[in-house]
Amino acid sequence: MDGKTAPQMRHFNPYSDNGGTILAIAGQDFAVIAGDTRQTVGYEIQTRYAPKVFRLNDKAVLAVNGFAADGNMFVKKVKQKLEMYRHAHAKDMPLRAIARLIQTMLYAQRFFPYYVYNILGGIEEDGSGAVYSFDPVGSYERESCRAAGAAQSLVQPFLDNQIYFKNQQPIPGGPPHPVHLPLSRVIALVTDSFTSATERHIEVGDELEMFIVLSRSHPQQSLDPRLNATEVSTTASGEKVFVIRRPLKRD
Amino acid sequence: MSSIATGYDLSASTYSPDGRVFQVEYANKAVENSGTAIAIRVKDGVVFAVEKVVTSKLLVPGANRRIQIIDRHIGMAMAGFLADGRHLAARARDEASNLRELYGPPTIRSVADRLGLYAQAYTLYSSVRPFGCSAIIGGYDKDGPALYCVEPSGVSYGYNGAAAGKGRTLAKNELEKLKFSELSTREAVYEAARIIHLVHDDAKEKDFELEMSWIGQESNFRFVPVPDDLFKDADQKARDALENFD
Amino acid sequence: MDHFPTNWGRPRNDLNDAYNTYPLHQRPYNGPKDTFADGVQRTQQPIVTGTSVLAIKYKDGVMMAADTLASYGSLARFKDIQRLHPVGSHTVLGAGGDMSDFQYIQTSLDTLLIEEEITQNDGHSLGPSEIHEYLKFLMYGRRSKFDPLWNSIIVGGVKDGRSFLGYVDLLGVTYEAKTLATGYGAYIAQPLLRDAVEEREGQENSITEEEARKILETSMRVLFYRDARSLNKYQVATITAAGISISESQHLSTEWSFAEGIRGYGAQTQ
Repeated sequence: MDGKTAPQMRHFNPYSDNGGTILAIAGQDFAVIAGDTRQTVGYEIQTRYAPKVFRLNDKAVLAVNGFAADGNMFVKKVKQKLEMYRHAHAKDMPLRAIARLIQTMLYAQRFFPYYVYNILGGIEEDGSGAVYSFDPVGSYERESCRAAGAAQSLVQPFLDNQIYFKNQQPIPGGPPHPVHLPLSRVIALVTDSFTSATERHIEVGDELEMFIVLSRSHPQQSLDPRLNATEVSTTASGEKVFVIRRPLKRD
Repeated sequence: MSSIATGYDLSASTYSPDGRVFQVEYANKAVENSGTAIAIRVKDGVVFAVEKVVTSKLLVPGANRRIQIIDRHIGMAMAGFLADGRHLAARARDEASNLRELYGPPTIRSVADRLGLYAQAYTLYSSVRPFGCSAIIGGYDKDGPALYCVEPSGVSYGYNGAAAGKGRTLAKNELEKLKFSELSTREAVYEAARIIHLVHDDAKEKDFELEMSWIGQESNFRFVPVPDDLFKDADQKARDALENFD
Repeated sequence: MDHFPTNWGRPRNDLNDAYNTYPLHQRPYNGPKDTFADGVQRTQQPIVTGTSVLAIKYKDGVMMAADTLASYGSLARFKDIQRLHPVGSHTVLGAGGDMSDFQYIQTSLDTLLIEEEITQNDGHSLGPSEIHEYLKFLMYGRRSKFDPLWNSIIVGGVKDGRSFLGYVDLLGVTYEAKTLATGYGAYIAQPLLRDAVEEREGQENSITEEEARKILETSMRVLFYRDARSLNKYQVATITAAGISISESQHLSTEWSFAEGIRGYGAQTQ
């Protein structure tokens, strides 16, 4: 050594990136919100099962991706606020109100942000399926579909093509592109998105956890038994919430 | 000299001409009205017993405990106003945890001393009243078993056997007969149960609950309630002894 | 009034006096002050550190292992430090990272537990998942104040017939898994632990105590061979429904004779 020491990092870095990917798609009268369950840091798989998708109530499901400690803490605080709302108003908070709440909570941390990308999916008060996506400091919009996280750049273009029919010409003289896709098609797209992302991205894999919220106006109020879904909704009269779990490659 | 209507008893900050603080003496009266609480310090442990007078059949059995835990190795029995006693217990816990943070597991003496200082402060000011409660505080520390009693005046004396409340005189008589250096903690449980049953005055209050806690080898040097089977046995033996006595 | 004559009639801002002789006292600064000019010093790096902790779920509960070394940089400073700490009667913590921060955590958890035991005294007690949740808040709270507790901690335990194995670190990041390893062990031992557990996928709770002990011993040995901040003395904690036991420190047997044949290590010079 020449007597001089190399420059040292002066600051503790309070963030890390825990990988994984989330995705949500809204249909006319349903919403699908999904995420993988792998949690990583760098090349290390910390655990094969750390949920990133959370049922908030019978019509809202929140997916969080980014820095896991912030994500878990944020979900915990959202859930607390929703519970307080229930006690005050004797009903579940509507989806659009949850979306605004999340914006407010994120922006409150504007100068020490939650390093988290949120996607909120569920059913609006008018019965339509909805997806809201957020940036870490609260900017948000309602969309039909959104992917976020490690494999966003792999999944979003696929979704643009398959959901928004970008770069696809309708058959001349044939029917126009559909505005909304049926549930079975959406489930297939979500599953394929994750198996593909697992193939190409090291931070994605292990297990797929997919929540499906059915509006009361959806013609079927149950899912095809072959999907092997578990119902997790709490009331018989409200919206129905289901979870589907699928193994993904673990390498 | 009667204290009534002299005006010297209106404040804890006033002495009477013959050097007494009547408010403190009244506080002692409040203790004397309470069910008896005793504690026995023997060679390898301390046993607490309380005669908890049941004021209503509607009360849940086991509720309103008058023996409380202060630290893992320290306990406290109270005689007098339960509410005041609970306040003292809370204070004792704070003192114990404060001492523990600074110096490690506190000695019984240090906690009793601190509690004494606290109680004494309530004998100095006109804006407060002394605690209507005597706190018998004991446990097992690095120097072995220890037992103190903090009175409303703030004094904290160390004892081999302590008693407070209605039956204290009779209880002290019985305690004086015990051989503290020879008894085991287990044997002391039987003695404690016997004394509480003995001093209980059936004519005045019918119902009472016996409450007993201990610390020693058998409790792994944790202050805990006396185990059920031992408690039941001691309780029964005490009742039987009383029957035969009559 | 400035009582230092050397200051009189001098420019106010030169630090070393160009007109006077050395040594010279520092002149008082009378300008506006920025309290945070130097910032507040907080933990920027760990000082005395422990290395990996390993843990595995098995048939009867959780088994955890950590060596007994606390290093001061590359110096093996303290060679008999216990890094496995029981919390209550259902939980064991194992910590890597800064040992003084870990001692602080031990003290604060002990205080918490005494408070719970005593003031509640309601027959309930904190189990491993509650301790883990509490630690998550403690660690996340401190990282959010930019004053982290510099540790990675494994929380293992059994309560009400359920075994728990969780992780929390200086960032407040948490997760649970059937096998856990912190620090260097995350790279070297975790694959070995996963191998042992995942080969019995679907019946992972069939690992016996002896098998679990064997798996941990093997992994600790590999770590001792490869981790320069490790020691061949380690302790094992087992947490089952019956309670906690933390072993005396035990010695790892190692084989070094092969090294004789390695060029640059043994007797060979060329």
